[in-house]
Amino acid sequence: MRLDLNTHMLEQLNLHFISAASGRLLGGLLVTLELSAIVMVVSTFAGFAVAILVMSPFRLLRLPVRAYIEVFRCTPALVQIVWFFYCVPVLFNVFWEPFTMAVMALSLNLTAYNAEAYRAAIQSIPKLHSDASVALGLNRWHFNRYVVFPQALRLALPVLVTNTIGMIQQSALVALVAVEDLMYVTKSIASSTYRPVEIYTVAALIYFAIAFTLSRVVALIERRNRQLMERA
Amino acid sequence: MTSEFVSIHGLHKSYGDKVQVLSGIDRAFSRTDRIVVIGPSGGGKSTLLRCVMGLEQIDAGQICLEGEAYVRVANRRTVIDRAVQRRIGMVFQHYTLFPHLTVRKNLVLAPVKAHGFAPSKANSDAERLLARFGLTDKLDVYPAQLSGGQKQRVAIARALMLEPKLMLFDEVTSALDPELVSEVESMIAELADGGMPMMIVTHDMTFARNIATQVLFCAGGVIAEAGSPEQIFSDPQQPRTRDFLRKMRSDEGFRT
Amino acid sequence: MIYSFDFSILIKYLPALLRGLMITLEVSAVSILAGIVLGFLLAIARQFGGPWLATPAMAIVEFVRGVPVLIQIFWVFFCLPAIIGMDIGSTLSAALALTLFMGAISSESFRAAFATIDKDQYDATVALGMPMRVTMLYVILPQALIRATPTLLSNAITVFKESAIVSAVGMADIMFVGRNISSASGHPIEILTVVAAAYFIVAWPMTLLVGNLERRRLERMSAA
Repeated sequence: MRLDLNTHMLEQLNLHFISAASGRLLGGLLVTLELSAIVMVVSTFAGFAVAILVMSPFRLLRLPVRAYIEVFRCTPALVQIVWFFYCVPVLFNVFWEPFTMAVMALSLNLTAYNAEAYRAAIQSIPKLHSDASVALGLNRWHFNRYVVFPQALRLALPVLVTNTIGMIQQSALVALVAVEDLMYVTKSIASSTYRPVEIYTVAALIYFAIAFTLSRVVALIERRNRQLMERA
Repeated sequence: MTSEFVSIHGLHKSYGDKVQVLSGIDRAFSRTDRIVVIGPSGGGKSTLLRCVMGLEQIDAGQICLEGEAYVRVANRRTVIDRAVQRRIGMVFQHYTLFPHLTVRKNLVLAPVKAHGFAPSKANSDAERLLARFGLTDKLDVYPAQLSGGQKQRVAIARALMLEPKLMLFDEVTSALDPELVSEVESMIAELADGGMPMMIVTHDMTFARNIATQVLFCAGGVIAEAGSPEQIFSDPQQPRTRDFLRKMRSDEGFRT
Repeated sequence: MIYSFDFSILIKYLPALLRGLMITLEVSAVSILAGIVLGFLLAIARQFGGPWLATPAMAIVEFVRGVPVLIQIFWVFFCLPAIIGMDIGSTLSAALALTLFMGAISSESFRAAFATIDKDQYDATVALGMPMRVTMLYVILPQALIRATPTLLSNAITVFKESAIVSAVGMADIMFVGRNISSASGHPIEILTVVAAAYFIVAWPMTLLVGNLERRRLERMSAA
């Protein structure tokens, strides 16, 4: 029985293996965190820009942006990632590192979701909405940056962080296109050591720890927002 | 005492350690009684009614119907005899009709699914009840399409489906527009004429005076004063009662 | 090397892609339906179950929502067989993982729906002498289902998109087929675009429907 196999292997515990495994896991985790951080930062700003564009009165501007948002919200992240990795190099005759392509694909995805969050936030406050409309002219960039963006950001923050948690979950998918993140390392160790249970469980716990921490952050932000609104 | 129909003994209820909602209620009523409980908000009158219905946990005491103690405390837990509880019907302030069911389904659901009535009997009972109260054309209508007064009358009919021995009314007209109040109060008066024992919590002093055989003034978790409607409304003994009635009268004066 | 488009291969591979799409739809549908049932049970456990039921239910929901679904499907496929000593095929693993996912996110939908059901209705059911089972089945469940429908629909769309993951454990859904054909034919752009389009054609109208339902609900609530 397989359980016997595991306990037998447990007796042949190799400390060097354990430390090497955790070293590799740490490396994968760092890749995941770095990837997620860059995507999050990019999408926080890009999401706002896209939100402003999609509220533009100019059809020529609004419709393509709307199409981008809909496409990236209605197709699986895996399809987007695979498409990016297989098609973009061939289509544009460019060669980027897998990590870079993963950042781009995930950013396109998270930006689309963030844009919706910003849009909903801006449209929920009439004054903010009219400010944003005023600021749509490109020469009003300063108005947008200093007036609309901070308020929209604060309002949309809970949803933005929730979206980020979702993106971190989806980031595991880049392992399927050979980006050496936490998921990739986990799978690699699991298949080479025939001890999937321990490894996958540890990886799951790490991802969970990240998601759980961020969800506490969301709860904190929502509570602060509520307190602010009550006082106002 | 063989004339005792409902009796409450030493009823205590509190929320946590601080808030004492009911502090020792002792009361008994006969089968011919119609009890109206009046009093200020938070004074405990709704809680009292809910305890009689068996909706609340109590800390001490017991409540008996027809001599059987159906609400009591054992091992610091409230024990409720469901079989006796079934003989009591209650109508609430906010209709609480099931919004996803038609009036007919609202009426027959409990009898058929919880009490083993035959569907044919339940349906004919429902039709008969609604005919008696002039609501026949509402049988297959959804609650959302009824007025507040109609909803409340359907709620009363729904409680009557189970042939209760005692009816409880918890501020059933407080949430209604003034012009809808009388149709509901007429229905309750009709039930009273038919000999239904009842306990009513209401803010409508005129209604209370007309229908009650006994009036309880409940404030601060105790029955501060009790007596016949004539006694309470014309010549209240306690200063708290006097203050309350004076305030209610001036409010009613404003309304009319 | 300039990419040469060849759209005729779409015709050649269309049957295979359609078969893949069928698999995607089937595994999604099964997981969605089973997930709704699971979600309702989890929601009841959290809302009405004692601490022995509510805490494990909450732990399950938080865990499934906090861990990537990819890990979950790998766990079911690789780890579960090692633990229970029985082999679990890719189809069953996929269905289990997706059902668990749908169940976890739907339990939140149901809990939100429970919150909108008037507390007084429970009082009414006690006053009418209705036992818990009857109350749950005829009063709470129908209303919860009606109120949770837009969110459940939205969850279904999410699970449908997430189903692309089953390709990672070898299930022949449209993602799996698409990837294979892309590599084999050397024409990834045509094939993968069609794959993306297939998901889009199913997901987007549903998204519009959800938006419509939500808007109508808002109107109805503000009118009442």
